Amino acid sequence: MTTLTADHSTDRYHRQMLLPFVGEAGQAKLLKSTALVVGCGALGTVIVNMLARAGVGRLVVVDRDFVELSNLQRQVLFDEDDVNGLVPKAEAARAKIARINSQVQVIPLIQDLNHTNIEQVALEGDYGPVDIIIDGVDNFETRFIVNDTAVKHGIPYIYGGAVGTVGMCYAVLPHTPAGDKPWEIAGRATPCLRCIFEQAPPPGMNPTCDTAGVLGPVVSIVSNYESIEAMKVLLGRYESVNPNLVSVDCWENQLRQLKVGRAYDVGECTCCKKRNFEWLDGVYSSSTTTLCGRDAVQLTLAPGESKLNLVQIADRLKAHGQVKLNPFMLQATVSDNAEAFELTLFKDGRAIVKGTKQPTRARAVYAKFIGS
Amino acid sequence: MSITIQIPAALRPQADGQASLQLEGGTVREALGELKSRYPELGGRLFKSDNEVNRFINFYLNDEDIRFLDSLETKLKSGDELAIVPAIAGG
Ligand SMILES: [Zn+2]
Repeated sequence: MTTLTADHSTDRYHRQMLLPFVGEAGQAKLLKSTALVVGCGALGTVIVNMLARAGVGRLVVVDRDFVELSNLQRQVLFDEDDVNGLVPKAEAARAKIARINSQVQVIPLIQDLNHTNIEQVALEGDYGPVDIIIDGVDNFETRFIVNDTAVKHGIPYIYGGAVGTVGMCYAVLPHTPAGDKPWEIAGRATPCLRCIFEQAPPPGMNPTCDTAGVLGPVVSIVSNYESIEAMKVLLGRYESVNPNLVSVDCWENQLRQLKVGRAYDVGECTCCKKRNFEWLDGVYSSSTTTLCGRDAVQLTLAPGESKLNLVQIADRLKAHGQVKLNPFMLQATVSDNAEAFELTLFKDGRAIVKGTKQPTRARAVYAKFIGS
Repeated sequence: MSITIQIPAALRPQADGQASLQLEGGTVREALGELKSRYPELGGRLFKSDNEVNRFINFYLNDEDIRFLDSLETKLKSGDELAIVPAIAGG
Protein backbone atom coordinates (compact mmCIF):
# COMPACT_ATOMS: atom_id res chain seq x y z
CA MET A 1 0.00 0.00 0.00
CA THR A 2 1.09 3.53 -0.77
CA THR A 3 1.65 5.79 2.19
CA LEU A 4 2.43 9.43 2.65
CA THR A 5 5.93 8.64 3.86
CA ALA A 6 7.09 8.10 0.26
CA ASP A 7 9.56 10.86 -0.53
CA HIS A 8 7.79 12.96 -3.09
CA SER A 9 4.17 12.37 -2.06
CA THR A 10 3.81 15.76 -0.52
CA ASP A 11 5.43 17.48 -3.51
CA ARG A 12 3.17 15.84 -6.00
CA TYR A 13 -0.01 16.67 -4.10
CA HIS A 14 1.17 19.92 -2.54
CA ARG A 15 -1.25 22.24 -4.34
CA GLN A 16 -4.34 20.33 -3.32
CA MET A 17 -3.02 19.67 0.21
CA LEU A 18 -2.90 23.43 0.72
CA LEU A 19 -6.68 23.35 0.80
CA PRO A 20 -7.80 23.10 4.42
CA PHE A 21 -10.27 20.29 3.73
CA VAL A 22 -7.57 18.17 2.11
CA GLY A 23 -4.38 18.64 4.09
CA GLU A 24 -2.18 15.72 5.04
CA ALA A 25 -5.00 13.71 6.58
CA GLY A 26 -7.23 14.14 3.54
CA GLN A 27 -4.45 13.18 1.17
CA ALA A 28 -3.81 10.03 3.18
CA LYS A 29 -7.52 9.19 2.85
CA LEU A 30 -7.41 9.60 -0.91
CA LEU A 31 -4.33 7.40 -1.17
CA LYS A 32 -6.09 4.68 0.80
CA SER A 33 -9.29 4.85 -1.29
CA THR A 34 -10.55 2.52 -3.98
CA ALA A 35 -12.87 3.90 -6.67
CA LEU A 36 -14.75 1.90 -9.28
CA VAL A 37 -15.07 3.81 -12.54
CA VAL A 38 -17.67 2.18 -14.75
CA GLY A 39 -17.04 2.97 -18.39
CA CYS A 40 -13.84 4.51 -19.69
CA GLY A 41 -15.02 6.67 -22.56
CA ALA A 42 -15.58 10.41 -22.65
CA LEU A 43 -16.61 10.79 -19.00
CA GLY A 44 -14.53 7.92 -17.66
CA THR A 45 -11.19 9.04 -19.09
CA VAL A 46 -11.50 12.48 -17.50
CA ILE A 47 -12.51 10.99 -14.17
CA VAL A 48 -9.66 8.45 -14.17
CA ASN A 49 -7.21 11.16 -15.22
CA MET A 50 -8.28 13.58 -12.48
CA LEU A 51 -8.57 11.05 -9.67
CA ALA A 52 -5.28 9.34 -10.52
CA ARG A 53 -3.48 12.68 -10.52
CA ALA A 54 -5.18 13.56 -7.22
CA GLY A 55 -3.77 10.38 -5.71
CA VAL A 56 -6.82 8.16 -5.33
CA GLY A 57 -4.90 4.99 -4.52
CA ARG A 58 -6.73 2.38 -6.54
CA LEU A 59 -8.94 2.89 -9.58
CA VAL A 60 -10.82 -0.13 -10.83
CA VAL A 61 -11.67 0.72 -14.44
CA VAL A 62 -14.24 -1.37 -16.27
CA ASP A 63 -14.84 -0.99 -19.98
CA ARG A 64 -15.99 -3.43 -22.66
CA ASP A 65 -14.74 -1.51 -25.68
CA PHE A 66 -11.52 -0.69 -27.52
CA VAL A 67 -10.15 2.66 -28.66
CA GLU A 68 -11.37 4.00 -32.01
CA LEU A 69 -10.32 7.07 -33.96
CA SER A 70 -13.60 8.91 -33.31
CA ASN A 71 -12.90 8.68 -29.56
CA LEU A 72 -9.82 10.93 -29.62
CA GLN A 73 -11.82 14.16 -29.95
CA ARG A 74 -12.87 13.90 -26.28
CA GLN A 75 -11.48 10.79 -24.56
CA VAL A 76 -8.46 12.39 -23.01
CA LEU A 77 -6.36 9.38 -22.01
CA PHE A 78 -6.08 7.86 -25.49
CA ASP A 79 -3.87 8.50 -28.51
CA GLU A 80 -3.34 7.31 -32.08
CA ASP A 81 -1.13 4.41 -30.98
CA ASP A 82 -4.08 3.04 -28.99
CA VAL A 83 -6.28 3.28 -32.10
CA ASN A 84 -3.75 1.55 -34.33
CA GLY A 85 -3.13 -1.14 -31.73
CA LEU A 86 -6.86 -1.81 -31.14
CA VAL A 87 -6.08 -1.39 -27.44
CA PRO A 88 -8.98 -1.96 -25.04
CA LYS A 89 -9.89 1.28 -23.28
CA ALA A 90 -9.35 0.00 -19.75
CA GLU A 91 -5.87 -1.25 -20.64
CA ALA A 92 -5.01 1.96 -22.50
CA ALA A 93 -6.05 3.91 -19.39
CA ARG A 94 -3.86 1.72 -17.17
CA ALA A 95 -0.83 2.21 -19.40
CA LYS A 96 -1.31 5.98 -19.60
CA ILE A 97 -1.87 6.46 -15.87
CA ALA A 98 1.22 4.36 -15.10
CA ARG A 99 3.24 7.12 -16.76
CA ILE A 100 1.35 9.92 -15.02
CA ASN A 101 1.30 8.69 -11.43
CA SER A 102 3.16 5.53 -10.53
CA GLN A 103 1.97 5.86 -6.92
CA VAL A 104 -1.56 4.85 -7.81
CA GLN A 105 -2.80 1.60 -9.23
CA VAL A 106 -5.24 1.21 -12.11
CA ILE A 107 -6.90 -2.19 -12.26
CA PRO A 108 -8.26 -2.63 -15.80
CA LEU A 109 -11.24 -4.94 -16.29
CA ILE A 110 -11.96 -5.55 -19.95
CA GLN A 111 -15.49 -6.81 -19.68
CA ASP A 112 -19.15 -6.00 -19.83
CA LEU A 113 -20.42 -4.97 -16.41
CA ASN A 114 -23.86 -6.45 -15.88
CA HIS A 115 -26.20 -7.78 -13.22
CA THR A 116 -24.37 -11.13 -13.07
CA ASN A 117 -20.94 -9.74 -12.23
CA ILE A 118 -21.22 -6.25 -10.75
CA GLU A 119 -21.42 -7.31 -7.10
CA GLN A 120 -18.31 -9.44 -7.54
CA VAL A 121 -16.47 -6.46 -9.08
CA ALA A 122 -17.69 -3.95 -6.47
CA LEU A 123 -17.28 -6.12 -3.37
CA GLU A 124 -15.12 -9.17 -3.93
CA GLY A 125 -12.13 -8.09 -6.02
CA ASP A 126 -8.54 -8.61 -4.77
CA TYR A 127 -8.59 -4.86 -4.17
CA GLY A 128 -11.36 -5.24 -1.58
CA PRO A 129 -14.77 -3.55 -1.52
CA VAL A 130 -14.78 -0.25 -3.39
CA ASP A 131 -15.42 3.02 -1.55
CA ILE A 132 -17.33 4.70 -4.36
CA ILE A 133 -18.72 3.99 -7.82
CA ILE A 134 -18.37 6.68 -10.49
CA ASP A 135 -20.38 6.72 -13.68
CA GLY A 136 -18.73 6.90 -17.09
CA VAL A 137 -21.52 4.88 -18.63
CA ASP A 138 -23.35 5.50 -21.91
CA ASN A 139 -26.67 3.76 -21.19
CA PHE A 140 -29.36 3.62 -18.52
CA GLU A 141 -29.50 -0.16 -18.19
CA THR A 142 -25.99 -0.21 -16.73
CA ARG A 143 -26.71 2.89 -14.63
CA PHE A 144 -29.72 1.30 -12.97
CA ILE A 145 -27.69 -1.86 -12.28
CA VAL A 146 -25.00 0.34 -10.71
CA ASN A 147 -27.63 2.29 -8.75
CA ASP A 148 -29.16 -0.95 -7.41
CA THR A 149 -25.73 -2.17 -6.33
CA ALA A 150 -24.91 1.13 -4.67
CA VAL A 151 -28.16 1.21 -2.71
CA LYS A 152 -28.15 -2.50 -1.79
CA HIS A 153 -24.63 -2.35 -0.38
CA GLY A 154 -24.53 1.26 0.82
CA ILE A 155 -21.86 2.51 -1.58
CA PRO A 156 -21.87 6.16 -2.73
CA TYR A 157 -22.53 6.50 -6.46
CA ILE A 158 -21.92 9.52 -8.67
CA TYR A 159 -24.14 9.72 -11.76
CA GLY A 160 -23.08 11.70 -14.82
CA GLY A 161 -24.42 11.88 -18.34
CA ALA A 162 -23.63 14.10 -21.32
CA VAL A 163 -24.72 14.44 -24.93
CA GLY A 164 -24.59 17.24 -27.46
CA THR A 165 -24.00 20.38 -25.42
CA VAL A 166 -25.91 19.26 -22.31
CA GLY A 167 -25.21 17.14 -19.30
CA MET A 168 -26.06 16.31 -15.71
CA CYS A 169 -24.39 15.15 -12.54
CA TYR A 170 -25.82 13.82 -9.28
CA ALA A 171 -24.39 12.23 -6.14
CA VAL A 172 -26.25 9.30 -4.59
CA LEU A 173 -25.41 8.88 -0.91
CA PRO A 174 -27.70 5.95 -0.33
CA HIS A 175 -30.13 5.39 2.51
CA THR A 176 -29.52 2.07 4.25
CA PRO A 177 -31.77 0.02 6.58
CA ALA A 178 -29.36 0.46 9.51
CA GLY A 179 -28.91 4.16 8.84
CA ASP A 180 -25.35 3.96 10.13
CA LYS A 181 -23.29 5.06 7.13
CA PRO A 182 -21.24 8.19 7.85
CA TRP A 183 -23.25 10.29 5.37
CA GLU A 184 -26.47 9.17 7.07
CA ILE A 185 -25.08 10.07 10.47
CA ALA A 186 -24.17 13.46 8.99
CA GLY A 187 -27.79 13.79 7.81
CA ARG A 188 -26.69 13.87 4.19
CA ALA A 189 -28.19 10.77 2.57
CA THR A 190 -29.76 11.56 -0.81
CA PRO A 191 -32.43 10.00 -3.03
CA CYS A 192 -31.17 7.38 -5.48
CA LEU A 193 -31.11 7.68 -9.26
CA ARG A 194 -34.41 5.80 -9.58
CA CYS A 195 -36.05 8.21 -7.14
CA ILE A 196 -35.30 10.83 -9.77
CA PHE A 197 -35.74 8.91 -13.02
CA GLU A 198 -38.08 5.99 -12.39
CA GLN A 199 -37.55 4.45 -15.78
CA ALA A 200 -34.84 4.19 -18.38
CA PRO A 201 -35.59 6.11 -21.55
CA PRO A 202 -36.49 3.56 -24.24
CA PRO A 203 -33.77 2.95 -26.84
CA GLY A 204 -34.05 5.45 -29.64
CA MET A 205 -36.02 7.91 -27.50
CA ASN A 206 -32.94 9.73 -26.32
CA PRO A 207 -30.13 11.06 -28.43
CA THR A 208 -26.78 9.37 -27.89
CA CYS A 209 -23.31 10.76 -28.45
CA ASP A 210 -23.01 8.55 -31.51
CA THR A 211 -26.13 9.90 -33.18
CA ALA A 212 -26.45 13.45 -31.88
CA GLY A 213 -22.77 14.24 -31.37
CA VAL A 214 -21.08 15.72 -28.33
CA LEU A 215 -18.57 18.45 -27.61
CA GLY A 216 -15.41 17.60 -25.68
CA PRO A 217 -15.68 20.48 -23.20
CA VAL A 218 -19.22 19.41 -22.29
CA VAL A 219 -18.19 15.89 -21.24
CA SER A 220 -15.23 17.46 -19.50
CA ILE A 221 -17.47 19.79 -17.49
CA VAL A 222 -19.80 16.99 -16.45
CA SER A 223 -17.06 14.51 -15.60
CA ASN A 224 -15.18 17.10 -13.61
CA TYR A 225 -18.36 17.76 -11.64
CA GLU A 226 -18.43 14.02 -11.00
CA SER A 227 -14.76 14.04 -10.00
CA ILE A 228 -15.14 16.82 -7.45
CA GLU A 229 -18.20 15.17 -5.89
CA ALA A 230 -16.21 11.93 -5.72
CA MET A 231 -13.34 13.71 -3.97
CA LYS A 232 -15.73 15.22 -1.40
CA VAL A 233 -17.12 11.76 -0.68
CA LEU A 234 -13.70 10.13 -0.41
CA LEU A 235 -12.54 12.94 1.88
CA GLY A 236 -15.60 12.33 4.06
CA ARG A 237 -16.85 15.87 3.48
CA TYR A 238 -20.49 14.87 3.09
CA GLU A 239 -21.73 18.30 4.18
CA SER A 240 -20.23 19.71 0.99
CA VAL A 241 -21.65 17.13 -1.42
CA ASN A 242 -24.15 18.79 -3.75
CA PRO A 243 -27.65 17.53 -2.88
CA ASN A 244 -29.07 18.84 -6.18
CA LEU A 245 -29.25 17.36 -9.66
CA VAL A 246 -26.94 19.62 -11.63
CA SER A 247 -28.07 20.18 -15.18
CA VAL A 248 -26.03 22.20 -17.67
CA ASP A 249 -26.67 23.40 -21.17
CA CYS A 250 -23.35 24.80 -22.27
CA TRP A 251 -24.73 26.25 -25.50
CA GLU A 252 -27.72 28.03 -23.94
CA ASN A 253 -25.56 29.17 -21.00
CA GLN A 254 -27.76 27.50 -18.43
CA LEU A 255 -26.71 25.91 -15.18
CA ARG A 256 -29.53 24.54 -13.03
CA GLN A 257 -29.49 23.21 -9.50
CA LEU A 258 -32.60 21.04 -9.55
CA LYS A 259 -34.02 20.30 -6.11
CA VAL A 260 -34.58 16.60 -5.73
CA GLY A 261 -34.06 16.20 -1.99
CA ARG A 262 -37.68 15.33 -1.15
CA ALA A 263 -37.82 12.46 -3.62
CA TYR A 264 -36.89 9.89 -0.98
CA ASP A 265 -39.29 11.07 1.73
CA VAL A 266 -42.25 11.77 -0.50
CA GLY A 267 -41.65 9.17 -3.21
CA GLU A 268 -42.20 5.41 -3.25
CA CYS A 269 -38.92 4.38 -4.87
CA THR A 270 -38.81 0.71 -5.84
CA CYS A 271 -35.08 0.65 -5.28
CA CYS A 272 -34.06 2.65 -2.23
CA LYS A 273 -37.37 2.72 -0.36
CA LYS A 274 -38.85 -0.69 -1.09
CA ARG A 275 -35.39 -2.23 -1.53
CA ASN A 276 -36.52 -4.21 -4.52
CA PHE A 277 -33.48 -4.44 -6.78
CA GLU A 278 -35.12 -5.26 -10.09
CA TRP A 279 -32.20 -4.33 -12.32
CA LEU A 280 -29.67 -6.20 -10.23
CA ASP A 281 -32.00 -9.20 -10.10
CA GLY A 282 -31.94 -9.28 -13.89
CA VAL A 283 -35.65 -8.61 -14.35
CA TYR A 284 -34.85 -6.40 -17.33
CA SER A 285 -31.63 -8.03 -18.50
CA SER A 286 -30.82 -8.87 -22.07
CA SER A 287 -27.98 -10.87 -23.61
CA THR A 288 -27.96 -8.68 -26.69
CA THR A 289 -27.50 -4.94 -26.60
CA THR A 290 -27.97 -2.74 -29.62
CA LEU A 291 -25.16 -0.21 -29.39
CA CYS A 292 -27.12 2.88 -30.09
CA GLY A 293 -26.12 4.86 -33.15
CA ARG A 294 -23.20 2.57 -33.89
CA ASP A 295 -24.99 0.21 -36.23
CA ALA A 296 -23.71 -2.57 -34.02
CA VAL A 297 -24.98 -5.23 -31.64
CA GLN A 298 -23.16 -6.63 -28.63
CA LEU A 299 -23.67 -10.30 -27.86
CA THR A 300 -22.95 -11.59 -24.38
CA LEU A 301 -22.66 -15.29 -23.82
CA ALA A 302 -24.06 -16.94 -20.73
CA PRO A 303 -21.66 -16.78 -17.78
CA GLY A 304 -19.56 -19.90 -17.35
CA GLU A 305 -19.00 -20.54 -21.02
CA SER A 306 -15.38 -21.18 -21.76
CA LYS A 307 -13.05 -18.42 -22.87
CA LEU A 308 -12.42 -18.14 -26.58
CA ASN A 309 -9.17 -19.19 -28.17
CA LEU A 310 -8.64 -16.09 -30.27
CA VAL A 311 -5.56 -17.42 -32.09
CA GLN A 312 -7.43 -20.45 -33.37
CA ILE A 313 -10.40 -18.40 -34.45
CA ALA A 314 -8.13 -15.89 -36.19
CA ASP A 315 -6.58 -18.70 -38.23
CA ARG A 316 -9.98 -19.87 -39.27
CA LEU A 317 -11.29 -16.42 -40.18
CA LYS A 318 -8.28 -15.50 -42.33
CA ALA A 319 -9.94 -17.32 -45.20
CA HIS A 320 -12.93 -14.98 -45.01
CA GLY A 321 -11.31 -11.58 -44.82
CA GLN A 322 -8.91 -9.30 -43.03
CA VAL A 323 -8.13 -10.27 -39.43
CA LYS A 324 -6.40 -8.22 -36.72
CA LEU A 325 -5.34 -9.82 -33.47
CA ASN A 326 -3.87 -8.61 -30.18
CA PRO A 327 -3.71 -10.24 -26.73
CA PHE A 328 -7.11 -8.91 -25.77
CA MET A 329 -9.24 -9.20 -28.87
CA LEU A 330 -9.67 -10.11 -32.46
CA GLN A 331 -11.27 -8.09 -35.21
CA ALA A 332 -12.29 -9.54 -38.55
CA THR A 333 -14.14 -8.34 -41.60
CA VAL A 334 -16.48 -11.00 -42.88
CA SER A 335 -19.25 -11.04 -45.43
CA ASP A 336 -22.50 -12.89 -45.31
CA ASN A 337 -25.14 -12.78 -48.06
CA ALA A 338 -23.17 -10.01 -49.75
CA GLU A 339 -23.34 -7.85 -46.61
CA ALA A 340 -20.12 -6.84 -44.86
CA PHE A 341 -19.78 -7.11 -41.10
CA GLU A 342 -17.02 -6.21 -38.72
CA LEU A 343 -16.79 -8.83 -36.04
CA THR A 344 -14.94 -8.01 -32.82
CA LEU A 345 -14.38 -10.82 -30.35
CA PHE A 346 -13.18 -10.44 -26.79
CA LYS A 347 -11.49 -13.16 -24.77
CA ASP A 348 -14.42 -13.28 -22.35
CA GLY A 349 -16.65 -14.49 -25.19
CA ARG A 350 -18.30 -11.19 -25.86
CA ALA A 351 -18.73 -10.08 -29.46
CA ILE A 352 -19.61 -6.84 -31.17
CA VAL A 353 -21.11 -7.28 -34.60
CA LYS A 354 -20.93 -4.07 -36.60
CA GLY A 355 -23.05 -3.66 -39.72
CA THR A 356 -26.47 -4.39 -38.30
CA LYS A 357 -28.86 -3.17 -35.63
CA GLN A 358 -30.81 -6.44 -35.61
CA PRO A 359 -29.97 -8.80 -32.72
CA THR A 360 -31.16 -11.81 -34.73
CA ARG A 361 -28.96 -10.88 -37.69
CA ALA A 362 -26.00 -10.37 -35.37
CA ARG A 363 -26.60 -13.74 -33.75
CA ALA A 364 -26.75 -15.36 -37.18
CA VAL A 365 -23.45 -13.82 -38.26
CA TYR A 366 -21.86 -14.89 -34.98
CA ALA A 367 -23.21 -18.40 -35.31
CA LYS A 368 -21.95 -18.72 -38.86
CA PHE A 369 -18.39 -17.54 -38.28
CA ILE A 370 -17.72 -18.33 -34.62
CA GLY A 371 -20.26 -20.96 -33.69
CA SER A 372 -23.39 -20.83 -31.60
CA MET B 1 -50.70 33.16 -16.38
CA SER B 2 -47.79 33.73 -18.72
CA ILE B 3 -44.95 31.35 -17.98
CA THR B 4 -41.70 30.30 -19.62
CA ILE B 5 -41.16 26.70 -20.67
CA GLN B 6 -37.59 25.52 -21.12
CA ILE B 7 -37.29 22.95 -23.90
CA PRO B 8 -34.39 20.48 -23.55
CA ALA B 9 -31.91 20.24 -26.41
CA ALA B 10 -33.16 16.77 -27.36
CA LEU B 11 -36.69 18.04 -28.01
CA ARG B 12 -35.93 21.37 -29.69
CA PRO B 13 -36.28 19.92 -33.20
CA GLN B 14 -39.93 19.25 -32.31
CA ALA B 15 -40.39 22.87 -31.16
CA ASP B 16 -39.10 24.77 -34.18
CA GLY B 17 -35.64 24.80 -32.63
CA GLN B 18 -36.64 27.01 -29.69
CA ALA B 19 -34.81 26.64 -26.36
CA SER B 20 -37.64 28.32 -24.47
CA LEU B 21 -41.05 29.76 -25.16
CA GLN B 22 -43.79 31.69 -23.41
CA LEU B 23 -47.26 30.36 -22.99
CA GLU B 24 -50.37 30.59 -20.87
CA GLY B 25 -51.72 28.16 -18.32
CA GLY B 26 -53.17 28.06 -14.82
CA THR B 27 -51.65 24.70 -13.97
CA VAL B 28 -48.74 22.61 -15.23
CA ARG B 29 -51.24 20.34 -16.97
CA GLU B 30 -52.79 23.29 -18.81
CA ALA B 31 -49.42 24.66 -19.82
CA LEU B 32 -48.25 21.31 -21.15
CA GLY B 33 -51.60 20.87 -22.90
CA GLU B 34 -51.06 24.19 -24.62
CA LEU B 35 -47.54 23.13 -25.58
CA LYS B 36 -48.90 19.87 -26.96
CA SER B 37 -51.50 21.61 -29.07
CA ARG B 38 -48.87 23.92 -30.55
CA TYR B 39 -46.34 21.13 -31.11
CA PRO B 40 -48.15 17.77 -31.30
CA GLU B 41 -44.96 15.82 -32.03
CA LEU B 42 -43.29 17.27 -28.95
CA GLY B 43 -46.40 16.48 -26.93
CA GLY B 44 -46.17 12.91 -28.12
CA ARG B 45 -42.69 12.63 -26.67
CA LEU B 46 -43.76 13.98 -23.27
CA PHE B 47 -47.04 12.18 -22.73
CA LYS B 48 -47.49 8.45 -22.35
CA SER B 49 -51.28 8.82 -22.50
CA ASP B 50 -53.67 11.75 -22.34
CA ASN B 51 -53.26 11.91 -18.60
CA GLU B 52 -49.79 10.64 -17.91
CA VAL B 53 -46.32 11.92 -18.71
CA ASN B 54 -43.41 9.59 -19.45
CA ARG B 55 -41.50 8.60 -16.35
CA PHE B 56 -38.05 9.19 -17.80
CA ILE B 57 -38.85 12.89 -18.21
CA ASN B 58 -39.09 15.22 -15.23
CA PHE B 59 -40.64 18.65 -14.90
CA TYR B 60 -39.18 21.26 -12.61
CA LEU B 61 -41.13 24.38 -11.67
CA ASN B 62 -38.64 27.04 -10.61
CA ASP B 63 -36.17 24.17 -10.08
CA GLU B 64 -38.54 22.16 -7.85
CA ASP B 65 -39.70 18.72 -9.05
CA ILE B 66 -43.46 18.96 -9.70
CA ARG B 67 -43.94 15.40 -8.38
CA PHE B 68 -43.26 16.82 -4.93
CA LEU B 69 -45.51 19.81 -5.46
CA ASP B 70 -48.95 18.96 -6.89
CA SER B 71 -47.70 17.08 -9.95
CA LEU B 72 -49.58 18.08 -13.09
CA GLU B 73 -52.12 20.00 -11.01
CA THR B 74 -49.45 22.35 -9.59
CA LYS B 75 -50.70 25.93 -9.90
CA LEU B 76 -48.71 28.43 -11.93
CA LYS B 77 -48.17 32.12 -11.38
CA SER B 78 -47.01 34.71 -13.81
CA GLY B 79 -43.27 34.59 -14.47
CA ASP B 80 -42.89 30.94 -13.43
CA GLU B 81 -40.33 28.87 -15.24
CA LEU B 82 -41.11 25.26 -16.10
CA ALA B 83 -38.16 23.16 -17.24
CA ILE B 84 -38.58 19.87 -19.09
CA VAL B 85 -35.69 17.63 -18.05
CA PRO B 86 -35.19 14.23 -19.66
CA ALA B 87 -32.67 11.73 -18.32
CA ILE B 88 -29.36 12.05 -20.12
CA ALA B 89 -27.94 8.71 -21.18
CA GLY B 90 -24.74 9.57 -23.04
CA GLY B 91 -21.28 9.33 -21.68
ZN1 LIG C 1 -34.58 5.61 -4.73
